[in-house]
Amino acid sequence: MPDDVLPTETMYAPSLDNLLLSANRQLNICNSCRYCEGLCAVFPALERRIELGSGDITQLANLCHDCRACLDACMYAPPHEFELNIPRILSEVRVESYAAYVWPRRLPELLQGWRGALTGMVISSAVVFITAFASTGFSGLHERQGRAGSPYDDVPYYPLLTLLLVTSLFSVAVIFVAARRFWREINGRSTLARPAALWRATIESLTLRYLRGGGGGCFYPSATVPSPTRRVLHTLVAYGFGLCLVSTTSAAVLQDFLGSMPPYDVVSAPVISGLVGGIAMTIGCTGLLAVKASAAGAAASPEMTRKDYGLLVALDFLAISGLMTLFVRSSGAFDVVFIVHLAAILFCFVATPYSKFVHVIYRYLSLVKNQIEQTSSAEPELAQV
Amino acid sequence: MNHARRGKMRQLDRAASTHPEKAVASGRSASAAWADASWDVVVVGGGNAALVAALTANDTGAKVLVLERAPHHLRGGNTRHTRNIRVVHNGNRWNVGAYDFDELWSDLCSVGDGPSDEDLAALTVRESESVPDWMSAHGVLWQPSLAGTLHLTRTNRFFLGGGKTLINTYYRAAAARRGMEIVYDALVDDFEFEDTTCRAVIVKWQGHTYRVATRSVVCASGGFEANLDWLRRYWGDAVDNYIIRGTPCNDGLVLARLYDAGAARAGQEKGFHAIAVDARSPRFDGGIATRLDTIPFGLVVNNLGRRFYDEGEEIWPKRYAIWGRLISEQPDQSAFSIWDSKVRGLFLPPMYTPTSAGSIPELASTLGLDPVSVTETVEKYNASVVPGDTFEPARLDGCHTDGLSPAKSNWAQPIDTPPYYGVAMRPGITFTYMGVAVKPDARVRRTDGSSFTNIYAAGEIMSGNILGTGYLAGFGLTIGSVWGRKAGKGAATHAR
Repeated sequence: MPDDVLPTETMYAPSLDNLLLSANRQLNICNSCRYCEGLCAVFPALERRIELGSGDITQLANLCHDCRACLDACMYAPPHEFELNIPRILSEVRVESYAAYVWPRRLPELLQGWRGALTGMVISSAVVFITAFASTGFSGLHERQGRAGSPYDDVPYYPLLTLLLVTSLFSVAVIFVAARRFWREINGRSTLARPAALWRATIESLTLRYLRGGGGGCFYPSATVPSPTRRVLHTLVAYGFGLCLVSTTSAAVLQDFLGSMPPYDVVSAPVISGLVGGIAMTIGCTGLLAVKASAAGAAASPEMTRKDYGLLVALDFLAISGLMTLFVRSSGAFDVVFIVHLAAILFCFVATPYSKFVHVIYRYLSLVKNQIEQTSSAEPELAQV
Repeated sequence: MNHARRGKMRQLDRAASTHPEKAVASGRSASAAWADASWDVVVVGGGNAALVAALTANDTGAKVLVLERAPHHLRGGNTRHTRNIRVVHNGNRWNVGAYDFDELWSDLCSVGDGPSDEDLAALTVRESESVPDWMSAHGVLWQPSLAGTLHLTRTNRFFLGGGKTLINTYYRAAAARRGMEIVYDALVDDFEFEDTTCRAVIVKWQGHTYRVATRSVVCASGGFEANLDWLRRYWGDAVDNYIIRGTPCNDGLVLARLYDAGAARAGQEKGFHAIAVDARSPRFDGGIATRLDTIPFGLVVNNLGRRFYDEGEEIWPKRYAIWGRLISEQPDQSAFSIWDSKVRGLFLPPMYTPTSAGSIPELASTLGLDPVSVTETVEKYNASVVPGDTFEPARLDGCHTDGLSPAKSNWAQPIDTPPYYGVAMRPGITFTYMGVAVKPDARVRRTDGSSFTNIYAAGEIMSGNILGTGYLAGFGLTIGSVWGRKAGKGAATHAR
């Protein structure tokens, strides 16, 4: 069906033009059908809108958690001539939106894709190694004789802090700007200072509410048999990641406020949280990577799948290399493993705004926006059969 | 298999296949084991009525074969396009308020000419009450009726995800059952009888013809609305302007074969459920998204620019189903819905962008209508709107015209605020009513006054026993579910 039977609004960002037109065409049909309104938050949000601008489509796309229940429910799915595939078109818009609001818009060519990741790791490792060499005369291997290694064996406190601060602040700054721009795009006027909406969106995020799928369950990875697989694995990744942050933070507290320097005992907050978090992340990421291939059906956007692989491999690498620093910390391999792990962290900080990691931010803001809408707008009562 | 039967198979192959040499050479394919089995119940069809019958029969232990004519992606017939079911209830968490027998009965009597067979219709209404529990027990999930379902929140119960989810649920339940098999692309071409008992169905599948033995048969294969030549017998060339909202598979072949075998007819030749759809809709299978709910909010003119019916006669769910027929009676089976900016946002946005214009003459020209006559119609209407009443879309608001023929009894406001909007409409046929007459146990009656011993019918193919000319939203599924259970139970019992 041609897209030109639908209004061509002028508010679309030029780069998103065709995608948004196609999304607009498809969502317009959804809005005249509405059979999916009980499935998730996307369809009630769609019904609150009669005409869709680019911000609306971006909002709906980031509200979609890709459970694919609507595709299973859709009598207009291909090969029907209406060719509705909402999970896919919203994935396509979503992946575009990841790039649309960051500045600088892209990583340098050199750092893009798998080859870029490898290049990044090499550069990052070199930076860490040079820093280590310049500050401690890094000799590669320490004779440990059973004593656990400490990061400061290789890179002293201030150089280490500098490397981490520079990269992480870059990441935070870019993501902050992107989040602001994204919020402006999806929301226009409204303020974020809405405690009730923030609270409810936080609960929805923390419980991974929409990964439960649309009523009947989540049709990811299987297009025909709903399963909790993705929600379980994603929970492991999210909470594993959180525990790893706890590990780092608790180490900082121990060291900077309690004066207890690493390495820490096995029975200590940093080691236990890092161990549990690292294992959870490894299981979660590896599991998600394993089901990814079987999820690559008609509903999947290849571009999003590529992003998914990128983030999952990166997180898996961080988790495994982090665990390795613990497992080999009493051996001579510690120094090399630590440098690789640190290099991975630094590179990931730089790459984060350009990875699927930003879905955390965008989804959260979309959930907040959705909560604001739900509380502020009485749904229009329409005559329908 | 004995020699005589094998010989018959060959003949069938030869008769049926367009490539006789291939048919004779290949015989039956190894994957058609279902064709060699002997079944308790063969269900012909694959929509709601068929699956309800099949699951009901299997619930009692019967070996059931479902022969769905459509390919997998089109499975489920018109059920794919459904969304809710109208049943008697005492109030529940999914509906607002109760809906008792008397009220549903009077609603059914108030559409069209009322029910065609009052006993069977009353039976349907009575047994509708237990349908939702049966559905829940077979895996169906429900949802509260949300936005845009004004007037239906009390009378109709909505299943989560709509009709395709419903039918997927049934198919998945069936796939997990023992003693149940589903075959897609299976065209039931004929029945083999011994007196009034059907011994086997003749099935065309993947270029071959099979004889499938069975103890009983459920025919739940829908109406004949997708068979334009059949419709043409009653409607003439007007059919060329009809849009068929549902599955292209409902060509009435099974119905025709049953008539050939002596089945009695129920329902009127011209009985159908038809609504107003966008003239740009696909010829088949456009479903719900192509309908227009704009009618009560404005005016409807034919292609001469003249009004022909009261747009505000009743609340929309009680009147939407007459507009297909009304439009089918207009010149060229064509009509145009016209509204203005004041009512924008009060109805579901139409799927196709409406024509818009800054003035009525301009709108009329763009729609291909005579600007003079449309302007005259609108001006006459505007002048006759009785001022002072409060426009309220949610109820019969009494905003009416005075001295206009036909009158507009509710929601009459002047059409005076540009931009003006318009859409060309056609009759959109949902399903036909004429089918086979049934007994209260769903067994198919014969013209000689007897009935088939083991052929049962459910759903659209027997809806003419209940529906005369009108339609009540959500009642098609009620008929399919009530009679699907009857047919499944009867067929399984007979097979024992």
